[in-house]
Amino acid sequence: MARSRPASRWTPLLSLVVLIAFIVAPGLAVKHENFKTCDQSGFCRRNRAYADNASGQGASWSSPYELDPATIHFKDGQLTGVLIKTTSANEKVHLPLALSFLESGAARLLVDEEKRLKGDVEVRHGSKANKKRYDEAEKWVIVGGLDASRSATLNAQSETGFTKVLYGPENKFEAIIRHAPFEVEFQRDGQTHIQLNHQGFLNMEHWRPKVEGKDGESGEDESTWWEESFGGNTDSKPRGPESIGLDITFPSYNHVFGIPEHADSLSLKETRGGSGNHENPYRMYNSDVFEYELDSPMTLYGSIPFMQAHRKGSTVGVFWLNAAETWVDIVKKSASSNPLSMSANSKTNTHTHWFSEAGRIDLFVFLGPTPQDLSKTYGELTGYTQLPQHFAIAYHQCRWNYVTDEDVKEVDAKFDKYQIPYDVIWLDLEYTDDRKYFTWDPLTFPNPKGMQEKLAASERKLVVLIDPHIKNKENYYVSQELNSKGLAVLNKDGEVYDGWCWPGSSNWVDCFNPAASPWWSSLHKYDRFKGSMPNLFIWNDMNEPSVFNGPETTMPKDNLHYGNWEHRDVHNVNGMTLVNATYQAMLERKKGEVRRPFILTRSYFAGAQRMSAMWTGDNQATWDHLAISLPMVLNNGIAGFPFAGADVGGFFHNPDRDLLARWYQAGIWYPFFRAHAHIDTRRREPYLISEPHRTIISQAIRLRYQLLPAWYTAFHEASVNGTPIVRPQYYVFPDDEEGFAIDDQLYLGDTGLLAKPVVKENTFTTDIYIADDEKYYDYFDFTIYQGAGKRHTVPAPEDKIPLLIQAGHVVPRRDRPRRSSALMRWDPYTFVITLDKNGEADGTLYVDDGETFNYERGGYIHRRFQYRDSILSSEDIGTNGAKTAEYLKTMAAVTVERVIVVDPPASWKDKSSVTIIEDGAKAGSTASLEYFEQKGGKASYAVVKSPNVGIGKTWRIEF
Amino acid sequence: MRLPQSLFLLAVAGSSARASSDKAARPRGVAPEFAKYYQDSNTFTCISNPAVQIPFSAVNDDFCDCPDGSDEPGTSACSHLSRNSPLTVADRPGNNDEEVTAALPGFYCKNKGHRPSFVPFQRVNDGICDYEQCCDGSDEWARVGGTKCEDRCKEIGKQWRKQEEQRQKSMNVALKKKKALLVDAGRQQQEIVDQITGLEAEIKGAEAKVEGLEAELKAVEEAERKVVRTSGKGAGKVNALAGLAKGRVNELRDALLEVRRQRDETHSRLKELEEILSKFKVEYNPNFNDEGVKRAVRSWEDYAAREKVEDTNKAQDRDLDEIAKEDGESSGINWEHWENEEDGCKDSDLVYQLAAYLPPSLVAFIEDKVLSLRSFLESSGILAKPDVDSSSESKAVTDARNALKSEEDSLKALKNKLRDQRADLEKDYGPAGIFRALKDQCISRDAGEYTYEHCFLDGTKQISKKGGSSMSMGRFTRIGYTAVEELNDAGEIVSVAKIALEYERGQHCWNGPNRSTKVVLECGEENEILKVAEDEKCVYSMLVTTPAVCAGGEENGHPPRSKDEL
Repeated sequence: MARSRPASRWTPLLSLVVLIAFIVAPGLAVKHENFKTCDQSGFCRRNRAYADNASGQGASWSSPYELDPATIHFKDGQLTGVLIKTTSANEKVHLPLALSFLESGAARLLVDEEKRLKGDVEVRHGSKANKKRYDEAEKWVIVGGLDASRSATLNAQSETGFTKVLYGPENKFEAIIRHAPFEVEFQRDGQTHIQLNHQGFLNMEHWRPKVEGKDGESGEDESTWWEESFGGNTDSKPRGPESIGLDITFPSYNHVFGIPEHADSLSLKETRGGSGNHENPYRMYNSDVFEYELDSPMTLYGSIPFMQAHRKGSTVGVFWLNAAETWVDIVKKSASSNPLSMSANSKTNTHTHWFSEAGRIDLFVFLGPTPQDLSKTYGELTGYTQLPQHFAIAYHQCRWNYVTDEDVKEVDAKFDKYQIPYDVIWLDLEYTDDRKYFTWDPLTFPNPKGMQEKLAASERKLVVLIDPHIKNKENYYVSQELNSKGLAVLNKDGEVYDGWCWPGSSNWVDCFNPAASPWWSSLHKYDRFKGSMPNLFIWNDMNEPSVFNGPETTMPKDNLHYGNWEHRDVHNVNGMTLVNATYQAMLERKKGEVRRPFILTRSYFAGAQRMSAMWTGDNQATWDHLAISLPMVLNNGIAGFPFAGADVGGFFHNPDRDLLARWYQAGIWYPFFRAHAHIDTRRREPYLISEPHRTIISQAIRLRYQLLPAWYTAFHEASVNGTPIVRPQYYVFPDDEEGFAIDDQLYLGDTGLLAKPVVKENTFTTDIYIADDEKYYDYFDFTIYQGAGKRHTVPAPEDKIPLLIQAGHVVPRRDRPRRSSALMRWDPYTFVITLDKNGEADGTLYVDDGETFNYERGGYIHRRFQYRDSILSSEDIGTNGAKTAEYLKTMAAVTVERVIVVDPPASWKDKSSVTIIEDGAKAGSTASLEYFEQKGGKASYAVVKSPNVGIGKTWRIEF
Repeated sequence: MRLPQSLFLLAVAGSSARASSDKAARPRGVAPEFAKYYQDSNTFTCISNPAVQIPFSAVNDDFCDCPDGSDEPGTSACSHLSRNSPLTVADRPGNNDEEVTAALPGFYCKNKGHRPSFVPFQRVNDGICDYEQCCDGSDEWARVGGTKCEDRCKEIGKQWRKQEEQRQKSMNVALKKKKALLVDAGRQQQEIVDQITGLEAEIKGAEAKVEGLEAELKAVEEAERKVVRTSGKGAGKVNALAGLAKGRVNELRDALLEVRRQRDETHSRLKELEEILSKFKVEYNPNFNDEGVKRAVRSWEDYAAREKVEDTNKAQDRDLDEIAKEDGESSGINWEHWENEEDGCKDSDLVYQLAAYLPPSLVAFIEDKVLSLRSFLESSGILAKPDVDSSSESKAVTDARNALKSEEDSLKALKNKLRDQRADLEKDYGPAGIFRALKDQCISRDAGEYTYEHCFLDGTKQISKKGGSSMSMGRFTRIGYTAVEELNDAGEIVSVAKIALEYERGQHCWNGPNRSTKVVLECGEENEILKVAEDEKCVYSMLVTTPAVCAGGEENGHPPRSKDEL
């Protein structure tokens, strides 16, 4: 009793404090204290200080890096030499350099450090860590495009102190290398587009021994050289300071895009403070950020260090191939001599400053000049988006968690009952037995096969979660094998690393180990992952890796991976190595059964697009999160990873019906279209939503299904030339400056479909920006919008998706609603044609079996449709292969059932039929045409009934 | 006599097949009831839009011409005509602005050998044999992609008839059971009515008795004032006091034992709780940044850091053991001695002497602990206050008073019972009071890691198979109705009202509401839980079958009385 008395006096006070804390601190916020600011990251602080020092000295600053002219060699499109760094103690540090010119038009700068390369360094604490700068990132990232340029030559007209190399298409590109101080300038057509070390921020922290008791003698801040602590975790840094930094300037460029993943606008902001700017650099250090905040340069789950700079008529870019923690500062400065000049022709330079904690300088430079050129060249290096299985681009229904196999079957039945199509249902981690992957909870999922068979009955799929953390438990075969085969990630002392994740104490599979992939593959075989069937696919989550008790919710940087690479060296590619192993595993789960894998990953790096889809992680059910999803998806698209989406409905919390409906209307424009929800939220499957919202959501999903032919064609394009599947304004209209920063409307592939989802509450009209003077037609009622460089107000009542079609396109659709996209396989097509100013229209269509790799052997249909001089024609643009004839045969009965021509010539009023000439037919035939007049700003249209021309055939329809 | 429905349908199908062979065959997918629209062999008039006329050759030509889809009864060409579709102006044949309503319920499957049925148009020629609706496989007539659906009506029809027969049987049984339930409910209700009558009589009697006892007590008290009190054993004041003291000590001992038992129980519960919390602290997911959890962990850490409550003092326990022993010659007070002691001292001395006979530990204990603890327990309402001391009364008065009190108590009990019974009669027991017969009946179902239990009109429970712990999912609150969306024969969603038993205020959910359950009832032969679902966090629904909600069986809406049956 006595003890309780003082407490009782404190209780009211305490509760008051708690109460105040509650009112002040919003319930939902990222835990800033869990993640480093630049100031809390040693090398970030050091590199910023280096830059500040250089800038502070102004013209008197001279970068201490020189290219030794005596070492310069140029051979087979590659210039090599030694960069000499002169330290404050006047030591000379040798840094071997290679500048390669590639056939694709890209250039690659590589700088390493001689001493570390030779292993002529000591590693502290008896660590086994590899002494070299990490040089294997390209093993995971680069798949091609490294062919040396055959035409690159030294420019004989170089001044002393400079070396110049002509390269690129018709040798219109030029790299101008100044020896001292070292600088590289990249020109196209005689104009400078990219400058390296122009500001003199180049910094390669060379190896040096730790001299006890002599801190601070170098005159630099050494406090973070040898050890760093954050959030109670200490990084032992056995190799000492080793960061790299470089400034990259884009003269006369005002916009830079890319370097996902950040919850921010498409056009990147300045990062050195000031109104509307960020205080911290954009960070790339793949992390499981809980309840991430918006409009922030904070790191998220994945990263692609690929940046595009864009100005009217030109796009250029850089790709910083480094897997370590990386930050990018962005500053924009007026290039005009008079900084106060605000005239229209005043130019802005964008200065970027890149620095990574470890590794080599490995930089690819792209000179465009179009956004498409960048997509293509970058894709040659890192690979294009895999052509997904067809189901993967349809609607995915996910929830943490569908709790039993019966639950799954019931959800499946409910979709049918309400006639809402869906293709895939997902199981989050609770399906496992005690969070052991590759097992099923025997109580809740006693019959996984029965469940998958039920799904297969309407050709639907199941995706289950498999994460890289393996429960550390005796008698769990995966754990036993992981340890007996020595495939786990080790701690700094070389013991198996133990951390906490969903299953509690866990170990992590080290997919850097070449032996890990075959083992991982074996786990996915039908006879080992018991209860799994061919319609089961994989979701790799938590692969940043997420470690609940680790520094910044991930692994300690001094953990060791295969090859004794420190985790610090490989962190950002780590997530992708798991995806790589899963991809190999899913390619052929049974001998002879080779199919395209489908994998969803949360963590990614450049190259992950070859194997997976990504989503923006754990977002929230708020209008702001709905809004940010569009720039995030668009940015991923231009950064080479277009198979992207956000959780429809918002992961955390309960969306109200208005938000949910609007989110579906937006979500159908994500290349990866999945609804997902947190375990604590109310169920929100579309059929559970009361009217009228259920109908609104059903219509949105059906619209996605109707347009799947266009989507699949866009995916195919992405898979062969890297173009984004949904494209931002600047990408489609690269010469229209007004549109460069627009990131809330998007174009679907080349279809001319322009969508602007409503992402604000209680908003029933929207302004769509139109760049050109072509007509744009409302998708649903053909209302005409016209006027270049203007925003047009489009009605957007809750049941309407603001969607326009630009004039000049042929949009392929399939209008018959089915239970799943696979069941639309045999359905006929509808074409919607909008005629441009010249009365012409174009479109393409790509179709294949949506499942196998037969398309690699010609098993596909690829057509171009052209409307010229009143004739619509279908032309084969595919390449025949061994499987062509077979595929065409299976598709022989699939035809075009309807052609809708929007805004046809008024003379068609009297037309009642069209002539059809199909290749191979003995005689032409006719089909009826009906003209429908519309008034009041709505375009008239004509419908051709049942031309019944084969989708895989060559034909003409004469109007 | 009436034909079983299945035979009836077969007969219809048969006759229509014959009829159609006389005239031109019905177009594919047209049900007999729509045949009349397809008789003109030159022109077809759209069923709901007679203004639209098309050549008959356009019927089933796999192109949608009618705004109501009626020209394509046998294909999926008009399947997009639905509110669920994102229709453009050009998708609506005839440029029709009206609400889209399909004229036909679906593709008609003749299902010869089974009963005819409609399959939704969106399933026609999609490559899947929808045997559930279309056992004859006619929905896949186009054989897209080589799909071939053989006719399985013979086998499916046979099975269905068997099932239907069983269902009918089961329904008959269910109805019988329902009647029995109604009888039971009626009987129970009558019992209550009878009980009320009985109780009313009893109360009358008891009231009279109380009156009598009151008078008696008064009389005894009168008499007592004139008579010197005598004690049972000794005759003197000391003896009387000793008797009282003994009673008091025993009372205190009992109280002490009870307090000790409560202490031990609280202690072990506290220990269990602390173990749960320390395990929770280790196992919770710090990444999963739940404010509630974080707060709980912080408070726990503060709590754990505080000075620990000392474990039970062994010496103290030994004292308690000592005190707990019955008084006798070897321990405590030898009451025999006192009760037979010659009266020689003054009352005031006695107290001291009594204290002298008690072990010092007991004295200290009584003063320091028991009294304070007891008063604490009393003040906090855990222990009842002892009756006002009546030790100065004679046995006769006490007896009389006790007799009165007990009679008053039983009167009160009777009145309460009457009130309860009357309230029970007023209570909603569903249509015809049928749930009276099911009250407190429990059924359970295994589902995943839990066994779920539903006790009619009492509560719902979740019993973990892993830990065995049981969790209340709600106490009964009311009988209500809930709307359930079902598909009608035409494949449309229709809302059906069903009886739902509502249970609320179950165990509080961690970081959520109190658990609640809605038990939706369906007609069935057995009382059975078909399905349990957690619709949202800690809000459950159960689908339960019971004969009680089957249609029919009531007589004029009144519960049949048991005597009616006799």
